[in-house]
Amino acid sequence: MSQAIVVQSLTKKFGNREVLHGIDFTVERGTVFGMIGPNGAGKTTTMRCLLDIIRPSSGSSRVLGEDPRRAGPELRRRIGYLPGELFLEGRITGRKLLSHYEAISGPVKRGHIDALAERLDLDLDRHTRKLSKGNRQKLGLVQAFMHDPELLVLDEPTSGLDPLVQQEFLAMVKESRDKGQTIFLSSHVLSEVQQAADEVAILRDGHIVTVASVARLRESAVRHVRLSATGISADDAGAMLRRVPGIARLEVLDSGDGVELSATLEGAIQPLLHVLSGLQLTDLVLEEPDLEESVLKMYGSLAGNGVRP
Amino acid sequence: MKTTLPLFTRAFVDSWRSTLGWAAGLAFAVFLYLPLYPSIGGSAEMQNMIDALPPEMTKALNYDQIATGPGYTQATLFGLIGFMLMTIASVAWGAAAVGGDEESGQLELTLAHGVTRVQVVLERALALFLRVILLSVLVFVLVRLLNDSARLDIMPENLFGAAVLFAGLSLLTGTAALFAGTLTGRRTYGLAAGAAVGVLGYVFNAVGRQSKDVEWLLGLSPYHWAYGNSPVAGGADWAAAGWLWGISVTLVLLSAVALDRRDVGA
Repeated sequence: MSQAIVVQSLTKKFGNREVLHGIDFTVERGTVFGMIGPNGAGKTTTMRCLLDIIRPSSGSSRVLGEDPRRAGPELRRRIGYLPGELFLEGRITGRKLLSHYEAISGPVKRGHIDALAERLDLDLDRHTRKLSKGNRQKLGLVQAFMHDPELLVLDEPTSGLDPLVQQEFLAMVKESRDKGQTIFLSSHVLSEVQQAADEVAILRDGHIVTVASVARLRESAVRHVRLSATGISADDAGAMLRRVPGIARLEVLDSGDGVELSATLEGAIQPLLHVLSGLQLTDLVLEEPDLEESVLKMYGSLAGNGVRP
Repeated sequence: MKTTLPLFTRAFVDSWRSTLGWAAGLAFAVFLYLPLYPSIGGSAEMQNMIDALPPEMTKALNYDQIATGPGYTQATLFGLIGFMLMTIASVAWGAAAVGGDEESGQLELTLAHGVTRVQVVLERALALFLRVILLSVLVFVLVRLLNDSARLDIMPENLFGAAVLFAGLSLLTGTAALFAGTLTGRRTYGLAAGAAVGVLGYVFNAVGRQSKDVEWLLGLSPYHWAYGNSPVAGGADWAAAGWLWGISVTLVLLSAVALDRRDVGA
């Protein structure tokens, strides 16, 4: 069994309102799979179906080889889950709350809870109601990771975490993957998952717009290019650059005995470099691709603008 | 770490403050009312005063029996203040057990762990039952303690029967709250259903006792099933106790089925 999650034609209706319109995706074991989409796209609903918290209206899903609807508690012991909106009992310390969840989840190694708490810089002896949103989120993460589950289902795991802790969390995700665990996480922004995810599914209005590797998204993403060159006129430079596939929003200005030029590039870099090699460059900036921008474009169209599926 | 009945343990242990609070309230009520019996209920003056009240009112408040120790205990403690406190406690616990937990968003995380939904309902209902039983035992013990000093003259077996009915009546309101809360996922609906069973039962009893024309209301009143024949004075109606406990257990089972069949937190 090499797939941790297989979802086929999954639909979910609440009354007359259909929030998932038959989604399909597969998460391979030992990988990190990110699901991104705006709020209300159906990310939380998808995750809840996998945990049998809500029941799909039609379609099928297999989680760790089992049907979540029938597999019962034994399957859920093998999963660590972080809900999208975490509510924790207030009149109890973090340590005590975790020991409650420990009693109803898989076996937890001695000292593992303290190690995780230390890593995330969380004080387990404070009452949960006195914790800030970020610290409650850390408690939720410890709860999900503590029994070393085969599969982690994390709904908006980085929300409320400060950037340093986000980095630590991403390191935890990578380590878990390296140990063979599978991670399925969601976010409404790509930047939070792109560092960790092997594959990304983009969900919009209950449809999966595309599933692609981060590398592929990067390839198809839009980069900003700026350069200065000497010994060439604006018209000639413009004409040269326009021949490069994927160049758009080209602006060329004369400056002294050369030009200043800015544009966006979508797709491969090589053709651009080829053209640039014929120029007397004095400056060149090729920015990191803005995945956010390309993803936002996809939100805007079901066809998956710019990404080959 | 594997604990037996982890959800029960959690529900029971985590609510010890609340359980203690209600125990203190009930104890306070017992110590407030019962020692006054010799100077109030048993005195001829009081009897004259009660005779002067409108008979409808004495019937509604069950004060027609207040002249004897068992009747006084029945009317003031089991029939009024104790009934009120226990109903509120039991309904609050019942409504919070599943409906309140779902509304606050915590049930989702519990269900994502290695538990079944039926187990969640049953273990939490068990915690409700145990708390109600403990409070009823407390009332039984305190009344026994005061029996001689307050000259109540209650037969132990009658007191026991009354305590069983007292617990059964509270459980019925509590499990009604559990069921409505579980069915809807809303604490408020649970509270409303539990309160309705308690309050309507009380009102139907008070009105039903007024005349033959409305006597049929008594049949709809769990309060009347329990206390219609004044168990502290005359012994329990064990069939009524069977109904109260039996319906309560049935409501728990229905709650388990209801939760097992629906989406949570949707």
